Amino acid sequence: MVAALWVAGVLPLLTAAVLLALSRLPRRVPETAVFVISLASAAISLVAAVLVVWRRPSVDLPWVPGLGLRWQLGVDGISGPLLVLAAAVTVLAVLQVRTEPTKGGSPALHQACLAAVQGGAALTFLARDAVLFFVAFEIVLIPMWVLIAVFGDRSEPGRAKAAATTFVLYTVAGSTIMLTGIVGLVYAGGTADLARLSGSGIPAGQQTLLAAVLLLGLAVKVPLWPLHSWLPAAHTTAPTSGSMVLAAVLLKMGTYGVVRLVVGPLHEGFARLAPIVGTLAVIGILWAGLICLVERSLKRVIAYSSVAHMGVVMLALASGSALGLQAALYGNLAHGVISALLFAVVGGLKHRWHGDDLQLARPGARDLSPRLGLALVLGLAASLGVPALAGFWAEFLTVVAAWSPADGRSVGYFRVLAALAALGAVLGAAYALRVARLVWAGSDTGDAREPVAKWPDLHAAEWVVVSTLALAVVVLGVWPNGLMQLAAPVVRDLLGVAR
Amino acid sequence: MKVSVNWLTLLPVLVPALAAILVLLVDAVLPRRTALHWWFAAAALVGGMVATVPAARAPVRTLCGSGQPCLYAADRVTAALQLAAFACSLVAVLLAVPVRRASRLTAVEASAVLSATAGAVGVGAARDLGAWLVLLELATLPLVALVAFRARRTAVDGALSMLTTALTSFGVTAVGAALWFSATGSATFLGDAAAQAMLDDDKRRGVVLAVLLLVAGVAFKLSLAPFHAWTPEAFDGASTPIGALLATTSKIAAVAALVVVLRSASAISSSTLYVLGALALASMTLGNLMALREQRTLRFLAWSTIAQAGWVVLPLSTVDRPGLPASVAYLVVYAVATLVVFAVVTLVAHADGRDAATDLSAYRGILRTRPVAGLALALALLVLAGLPPGVVGLVAKVAAIVPVVHQHAWWLAIGAALNAMLGVAVYLRWLWLLWQPAGAAQRDPAHPVHRVVVALGLLALVVTSVLPGTVLAFLR
Repeated sequence: MVAALWVAGVLPLLTAAVLLALSRLPRRVPETAVFVISLASAAISLVAAVLVVWRRPSVDLPWVPGLGLRWQLGVDGISGPLLVLAAAVTVLAVLQVRTEPTKGGSPALHQACLAAVQGGAALTFLARDAVLFFVAFEIVLIPMWVLIAVFGDRSEPGRAKAAATTFVLYTVAGSTIMLTGIVGLVYAGGTADLARLSGSGIPAGQQTLLAAVLLLGLAVKVPLWPLHSWLPAAHTTAPTSGSMVLAAVLLKMGTYGVVRLVVGPLHEGFARLAPIVGTLAVIGILWAGLICLVERSLKRVIAYSSVAHMGVVMLALASGSALGLQAALYGNLAHGVISALLFAVVGGLKHRWHGDDLQLARPGARDLSPRLGLALVLGLAASLGVPALAGFWAEFLTVVAAWSPADGRSVGYFRVLAALAALGAVLGAAYALRVARLVWAGSDTGDAREPVAKWPDLHAAEWVVVSTLALAVVVLGVWPNGLMQLAAPVVRDLLGVAR
Repeated sequence: MKVSVNWLTLLPVLVPALAAILVLLVDAVLPRRTALHWWFAAAALVGGMVATVPAARAPVRTLCGSGQPCLYAADRVTAALQLAAFACSLVAVLLAVPVRRASRLTAVEASAVLSATAGAVGVGAARDLGAWLVLLELATLPLVALVAFRARRTAVDGALSMLTTALTSFGVTAVGAALWFSATGSATFLGDAAAQAMLDDDKRRGVVLAVLLLVAGVAFKLSLAPFHAWTPEAFDGASTPIGALLATTSKIAAVAALVVVLRSASAISSSTLYVLGALALASMTLGNLMALREQRTLRFLAWSTIAQAGWVVLPLSTVDRPGLPASVAYLVVYAVATLVVFAVVTLVAHADGRDAATDLSAYRGILRTRPVAGLALALALLVLAGLPPGVVGLVAKVAAIVPVVHQHAWWLAIGAALNAMLGVAVYLRWLWLLWQPAGAAQRDPAHPVHRVVVALGLLALVVTSVLPGTVLAFLR
């Protein structure tokens, strides 16, 4: 079973190296071969991830003795679902590349980047060593940079490179600040083992300082308002597959880091900073909601809705209760599935429309491409929190958790935050309906600039991608208990040990 | 006074020094044999590497007087620095082999490289003030000549500014040494003379000032801001293999010299050491900001060196015990990556002409036109930036930050974190060009020696990135 750990974490990285070497060969490698290799690798590591979650193997090998850095791998109820999500979304992203012709570079390079992102994410979720967690975190940056800069939207010269560089610089600044926090945490806690850090009993004053440093670094990656501005730019320019992994894989890593490094080990410090975190989260929800009401670019709307959803997750974490933590973990996963679905749909629309401007008059998607239209409406409904879909539980439980926060937090203040978050949900409904009206029902009142009059519906691989994600959205919404029960013991441990 | 001498222990210094003289003798007997001299120098450097093995296994010392402490001492850290200095000079020599030049100068050049290496190897083990000063200059002055030998206007300018700097820094270090002697009453970096002097109020000022002056003198060699001004000109003027030597062997010599001073002055307070931290931050920031706008390859590398020197010194600015090995580890990683970059630049300069290599835009599309060199360059830049897949660079940065955080020097840590971001911006600028479509220029095949060096460099970076423990083994 230990082999499954290595397959889940390291196989994608090896695949990335092989594909990268193939892309540098003087003779062009057939596109189908590249596709088969990357699909096989992603599928095998998905199977391995499921095995890992089921059988829970663990590994502990020294890597850099001088730093005490170890290959300490394993999963629990928090990281397991995220590991599977990352692998599953990568399989779908690999399929997605097949449906959208690669522009700017070779398909081998494109698939190599996706595989490397998956490998880095898998190692991030598998890492039980705080410093290994950081190293794994950094693996995803350069592949993502290449995905955005090389394969991104070329309609405006220079924009892809600017967006990619903004993404990398923001994230590197965040992660190096996080590194100083991790080093301080490991030094204060006396161990780099994430499981044992939770009970290490660091003095409260130091906890606040460390939590502040770690949150400052992680806020970039979550992203938390006002450090979110890299995200819309990156999403707008990234290719569809890049947007999918950015939303469903990279953003999960930030919140996962908050749970692992801050909420667990620095419980008291986090409690002291919780009102600030909650305030920023709520500002993010409202800010993003207001922008979505007027934004012209469809991809940017979905990107800003991501900012709002991550705000919900952070508010749930800030509440500090077991329910809040559950809501955050659930919301994190739900956002991964919903936004992957929305980006797959919106990427397909952008490809068909040759742009994603909402202000152009267009026929309705329900007439021209009923499947695409249905998937969009489903994704928007889930995103605005319609009951029985994945998004509902995240928003509902978060508001409930914020209404009665854990001990030591000001109840009155958190109730105000909960009320404002509920207002944010109303904004979410408003912009979701706006997009649904413009895209699904069609509009004839916009700027008339040669709108595309006809486009094909979902077909073959694209249909598989979208319907799988849509199914996941429904299953998560109808049966949230499975996930909650998986996480429950770990949540108890994280909060119980800290008390 | 009777001094015991163990010649075997002194071999790492003696081999390159004697070889430097032998090269000249061989040239007198067999004139105008260009390649011979370089291969002879390479063999001597390999011999020197072998000679460092005893010190790497267990601390060695020699030149001990009766009842006096020993004036030559080397432990694991010193041996690692010596080994690195030999390896860097070896690579620079190999890069220089195919370069066409006036045959009458080859022997002198090979001899200068060897004597600079002897200085770099010796200064880390020297324990008396005089030898330390002389060896530090020996590691510097031959490089001035090596830069000037290219005999272009830029080279002479670069050499001149180096010479001025070298003289100034020698003056500063000499005053520092004199102050050290007057404050501690000892002409060595040994024993507890400095610690004793720190107990006395008057003498403490002398010791602190002496350390600051010695550090400032070394900072010239290490091109730490604000003592960096010579670097871009010297790099831009020198031939590329000599640039590699300037960027690596010379830096190793300076760090070795700094380590000797800081070890003997371990009693000085942390606030004095924060001066080093401030120098480190200033270097990083200035180097990164200037490199962000630089279009000329060699000047870009000079600014990069200045920024990286800040990272090397950062862990030394703490009195924490792991600070020293972390600094050495960072230096080694920096040296390997920088050598690979210089190897690629030399390869391109030799094949396509120097003008084709000294502008950053010349590297457009190199990933397609020269895949191995392109991948090596890309990986080396990522190591310097500290981003995976250049894992070893990232691990080195982690090692450099650890002692700073343990010291709770948060302002240094946050400053370094922001500079890590700036550094990424710097190297991504160049990396971005590698992905671009190439121009239609005719590419000549590279020289086999250059190809082998670049391929080996790529291999070294890949291996150390998979197993960073190999480079950081002496961190313990």
